[in-house]
Amino acid sequence: MEDKVIEVNFGPQHPSTHGVLRIKVKLDGEIIVDAQPVIGYLHRNAEKLAEMGGYPKGMIYIDRLDYVAALNMELGYVLAVESLMDVQVPERAQWIRMMMVELNREASHLIWLGTHGLDMGMLTPFFYCFRERERILRIFDEITGSRLLYNYFAIGGVYSDITPKAMDMIREWTEDFIPKLEEIQSILGKSYIYVSRTKGVGVLTREDVLSYGVTGPMQRASGINRDVRKDSPYLYYDKINFDVPTRTEGDVYARFLVRIEEMRQSARIVRQILDKLPAGDHYNKKYSKPMLVRLKATGEAYVPTESPKGEFGIHLIGDGSSIPYRVRIRSPSFANLSSIPTMLKGYKIADLTAAVSSIDPVFGEVDR
Amino acid sequence: MNLFFFLMSILYGIVKFLHINFTTFVLNGYPVGLWVAYLIVAVVEVLLVFALSMVTVIIIIYVFRKYMADAQNRIGPNRVGPWGTLQLIADVFKLIQKQDIIPTTADRTAYKVAPYIVFTPVVLGFILIPFGNVSILNLMVVNFNYTILFLVAFMTVAPVGEIIGGLASHNKFSLYGALRSAAQDMGFEVPMLISLISVIVLAGSYNANEIVTAQKYIPFIIPEILGFLVFFLAMIGRQSIPPFDLPESGSELVSGFSTEYSGMRYGIFYMGNFGFMALSAFVVAVVYLGGWEGPIFPGTVWLIIKGAVFIFIFLLTWISLGRVRIDQLLQLGWKYLLPLSILNLLISAGIAIYFGGVF
Repeated sequence: MEDKVIEVNFGPQHPSTHGVLRIKVKLDGEIIVDAQPVIGYLHRNAEKLAEMGGYPKGMIYIDRLDYVAALNMELGYVLAVESLMDVQVPERAQWIRMMMVELNREASHLIWLGTHGLDMGMLTPFFYCFRERERILRIFDEITGSRLLYNYFAIGGVYSDITPKAMDMIREWTEDFIPKLEEIQSILGKSYIYVSRTKGVGVLTREDVLSYGVTGPMQRASGINRDVRKDSPYLYYDKINFDVPTRTEGDVYARFLVRIEEMRQSARIVRQILDKLPAGDHYNKKYSKPMLVRLKATGEAYVPTESPKGEFGIHLIGDGSSIPYRVRIRSPSFANLSSIPTMLKGYKIADLTAAVSSIDPVFGEVDR
Repeated sequence: MNLFFFLMSILYGIVKFLHINFTTFVLNGYPVGLWVAYLIVAVVEVLLVFALSMVTVIIIIYVFRKYMADAQNRIGPNRVGPWGTLQLIADVFKLIQKQDIIPTTADRTAYKVAPYIVFTPVVLGFILIPFGNVSILNLMVVNFNYTILFLVAFMTVAPVGEIIGGLASHNKFSLYGALRSAAQDMGFEVPMLISLISVIVLAGSYNANEIVTAQKYIPFIIPEILGFLVFFLAMIGRQSIPPFDLPESGSELVSGFSTEYSGMRYGIFYMGNFGFMALSAFVVAVVYLGGWEGPIFPGTVWLIIKGAVFIFIFLLTWISLGRVRIDQLLQLGWKYLLPLSILNLLISAGIAIYFGGVF
């Protein structure tokens, strides 16, 4: 029995590892006997770097954690800093933040959907997803001036106001998006091959999810109705209507359905925000740019937020100087990845790619 | 009348026209001129077939790229030559220039030979396709009684190259690709052969040309719809294109059996695969859709139309479907296709007994 087992390294250079994940897999024929994730190939010391500059300077490292949902990362940091310093943020800025974060969640989920299709051997949905993501990136380009790493949220607000042109772009996008999403969903979800390959694969039970600290869509696919936006609302999530999709199966297909439904809900949130967006300042004048470098703080703050991958939070400790004493990052993909051995044992090689891509790991965030 | 004799008679005409007497020297009882003429005709034929298969491959790859790009909101090749038609030739030149990397631990001979084992049978297969009848001239390079048998033999040899290449690479991913290729070939070969046998039962001949003429009024797809489906699926499986691209499986096994291959050796694999696609489309057209039989247009046009339809279906499945898992694939082959093909064989045997005269 022992001599039949082959050890294969999937990664760190491998087409379906979403970056630089390495999985040491022990294989008996096509069946996975054991799988151990090995991480650290993209370690950039983001936590320590963020502890070396001032509070506003930390933003550029936080941006690069989950680089496909950079605004969600920024939001976590900005909320932590603001709660540490008791910064008042104008109402308009908060609504803008919410809208941008939801748009970025869509962009992140679209990347996941496309690469998930690739991992299942489907090339075509990838292009459809990137076409839709491109529209969101154009909106971001119009508002923030960047397409991937924005550095847009500032302490006390956002750097630039939303232009009327950008408003039109977003409104147009909300109208077009849902039919396009249904089209993409039908390519995968109505394909017998896709459904039969994902149902019952990579199952995580409720207990597994709780013991590994898995959060986000993976958690909700395993029957735990937990969303930070609903349970401990930040920004103005308590003032708008949205549903938290949950499934009980806990397999790859359930995660697919949960993420698709989340994209619908995000579009719904954006549509509501467009109607509710109040007039006013887009940042707190007290925290204008020259003021920012001299910010000092004492105490601790942790604000959990719902990033596309799960619960993301930053634990800040200030020691009274203008440099944070500790920036601890709670990254959802890191915890989610730890469930790989449970998800893969006993399944086949082909299920490995399906299960790993259903985690939606982004390695900037895992390795930090 | 055969293409061979056609070319021979042209050559004979030229010789007569030039007033050359080639009966002066005699070798083994035949005039030397005749030997030379045979040789010339054989070379011309080989070149013709090679050019035909290459042109088909180039056209298919171009159409595939454009079609796929169109389905995926892209433009596709549009820089080299008019509308990007010369892109493949540019690619081939690029691949030839590349360094030919052979892993130090690889079995060098087997590693080098493997791409040609995929490629050669595909080109040879084109020899046996009946491309039509021009009055008494058979557009078929070789015509003998067992052409279908040889055609299947060639198509069976081609995937062996994938297995050899995968095993010779000395790479775990390649090894897995090779093992999958072996499992897949076995799973699809048996139903493919059995459904082919039922066609032979109906046509009463192993000769591809006679199978075509047997379908003059009713193509075999009508009495043998089951066999057609089995054969068609098996053909997709034998080509290792999605949804059955398990030996390559880009996202799981890096690139499967061809992981270590680079440069033109990889290019030959690639061309061999697309050649195989053309060959299998033509075979399906010949066996089930009546090959070159058809009204109004000349036979060759009909064959190309029918082949093109199948090629487009192959490409469409490629574009729109995901990859199946190995256990699902084997289930399909052994649990569904094999019993269906046997059932089909029984049905067609019954048809051959009771309505034998129709075909």
